[in-house]
Amino acid sequence: MDLVLQLLFTGIGIGAVYALVALGFVLIFRATNVVNFAQGEFSMVAAFLMVVFAVDLGWPYWAAFLVSLAGMAILGVIFNLGVYYPLRHRTYLPVIISTIGASILMANLTLALYGPQPQVLQGWFETQGIQLGPVFLDSQYLLIIATTCVLVAFQYWFFEHTMLGKKLQATSQDKEMASLLGIPVVGMIMLTFVYSAILGGIAGILVAPILFVSIQMGSTIALKAFAATIIGGFGDVAGAIIGGLALGIIETFGAAYVSVPYKDGFAFLMLVLFLAFRPQGIFGERVAEKA
Amino acid sequence: MTLTRRQFGAGIAAGVALETISTRSFAQGATIKIGMVVPVTGPAAESGKYALNGAKLAQDAVNKAGGVLGKPIELVVEDDLTTNPGAVLAFSKLAAQQDIVAFLGSIRSTQVHAMAPDILKTAKPVMFGGTDVALTKLGNPWLFRFRPNDSYSAKVISAYGAETLGKKKWAIIHSTDAFGSGGAKALTASLEALKITPVLDQGYPNQSQDFTPVVLAIKQSGADIIGSYFTFENDIAIFARQLRQLGVNIAWVGSPSITVATAVKLAGPALYGTYGVADFAEESSPEAKAYSKLYRDTYKVNPDNYSSWTYDAITVLSMAMNTAKSTEPEKIRQAIIATKNHKGVEGTYNFDANGDGLHGYNIVRNENGNIVFDKHIDFES
Repeated sequence: MDLVLQLLFTGIGIGAVYALVALGFVLIFRATNVVNFAQGEFSMVAAFLMVVFAVDLGWPYWAAFLVSLAGMAILGVIFNLGVYYPLRHRTYLPVIISTIGASILMANLTLALYGPQPQVLQGWFETQGIQLGPVFLDSQYLLIIATTCVLVAFQYWFFEHTMLGKKLQATSQDKEMASLLGIPVVGMIMLTFVYSAILGGIAGILVAPILFVSIQMGSTIALKAFAATIIGGFGDVAGAIIGGLALGIIETFGAAYVSVPYKDGFAFLMLVLFLAFRPQGIFGERVAEKA
Repeated sequence: MTLTRRQFGAGIAAGVALETISTRSFAQGATIKIGMVVPVTGPAAESGKYALNGAKLAQDAVNKAGGVLGKPIELVVEDDLTTNPGAVLAFSKLAAQQDIVAFLGSIRSTQVHAMAPDILKTAKPVMFGGTDVALTKLGNPWLFRFRPNDSYSAKVISAYGAETLGKKKWAIIHSTDAFGSGGAKALTASLEALKITPVLDQGYPNQSQDFTPVVLAIKQSGADIIGSYFTFENDIAIFARQLRQLGVNIAWVGSPSITVATAVKLAGPALYGTYGVADFAEESSPEAKAYSKLYRDTYKVNPDNYSSWTYDAITVLSMAMNTAKSTEPEKIRQAIIATKNHKGVEGTYNFDANGDGLHGYNIVRNENGNIVFDKHIDFES
């Protein structure tokens, strides 16, 4: 039983990381109908910004956190203007390729500026964690789980109970109609990119004390988060959360009880099964082409 | 103007002669070129930087001492992207340059395996650092190893853990790539020679984000010592931290990755008190001490085995070309094989017919973040 509880906690913790990154995928998909393959690199860039401000410059952790997120907001604007906006009238394919190109550019630009050495970023708390009976609760995983809950609650409130959130939803559902109703579609999409960059950044900063800060940290998480998004149902916020948590738990238990070497295989087996038998994911609705 | 048959023939002959002369003069350029396949980008970019640093130090030393056959040596670098296809492509690009006389391959066994067929076709000497035992038994005469292979690391890990530390319940933790699997196999064999059957043999995929299941398996196995073969430093650091967090404080003797500067920095106190086998240890010889000082003075950081093997490889290769008085591949090959009792920074090189230069390892201990030399164990080649 001790073993199960420990695995469950770790599975939820790692699943919450996938869920946070998956949320960014979902938001951009809802607004633009394309998958942003640079979402993982947002996490990596934010973690490096945090290293620059909190470690290299020695700023207080909270100040470094806020400035890093401000940096991510600016990156979101640049990303929107440079990667999405010029291709907004094209089909989804050039935009997807453009995001892949941007992810390669971000990774190599960071490599050129900061060098290849992985960096250590201390966690928010002094203590490593809490020993609760037989189960060790890592303080950083606890923070990640709590942050995921808060962000999900915020997202629900924002999209369902604020005018800005409703405008964003209207934009994602039908850009032409939203434009006719006087909603500034271009501005709304820009805002979505800014929010997604911040969200990816929060995930990166939170996970950095566990996985360390390295150039490839973003792509490692993003691949699983992408699988989580498909399992949950592309375009569905609740789906991203459930998909992320499910993936984290399944791969942790799969590794413990079936095979560690095939740990990644469980995640991608789930992905293949969902694509084959329920491509719309857990929460997605079946979309048919209109005649 | 009409062209006679004789004039046409003379023209063709002159053209061919000119082409031959220009090609030859190109091959005999102002420098002796050595190709180097190295990770500049990707997960191992950090180790690639060290490798390049070591090679450049050797290049400077060789050139200061008069170069090779009276010419300075020059490194031609290609990025392997830390992937197998990247390594193959990088080697092909270098191999296409006729004026490159020899190559430095990868420190990663899996990449050397991937490049091996092309190396055989190119038929020029390749120095490498991968430690999978099988690499020098492929029947490929162009491969020369500048680090001790895993049969030696396994013998040293098992002997130190079982005899010096007196531990009998072994958990073997290893990556599932060629290096990790090969190392685990060699360690199992070495332990069996000591009449010990490991209580756990646990592989993991590279770039794992979580090692909780592995740590819990160690706990359940009742092991009193860990023998490990980790490929990447961030993996070893994540594992070490989770190991300590989940209350496992048993002895640990690891392959060289446990001793490299990046792993020591990332894991911090989680690796304190662990042992490792290291082909490079600063205190192991006067040559290693002098190299460490030079490296620190030049790059302001401590050296590790990622840089020391490339330093030795360039030095031995240059010596071999000078001894052979030629850059012909076969003559270089024979001169490398004939290298005996050369005191490099990694140890004393005695090349055997397979292409293995080193036959022993150092045991080092992590004392509060400092890698401290314990002893050197050598075996008959």
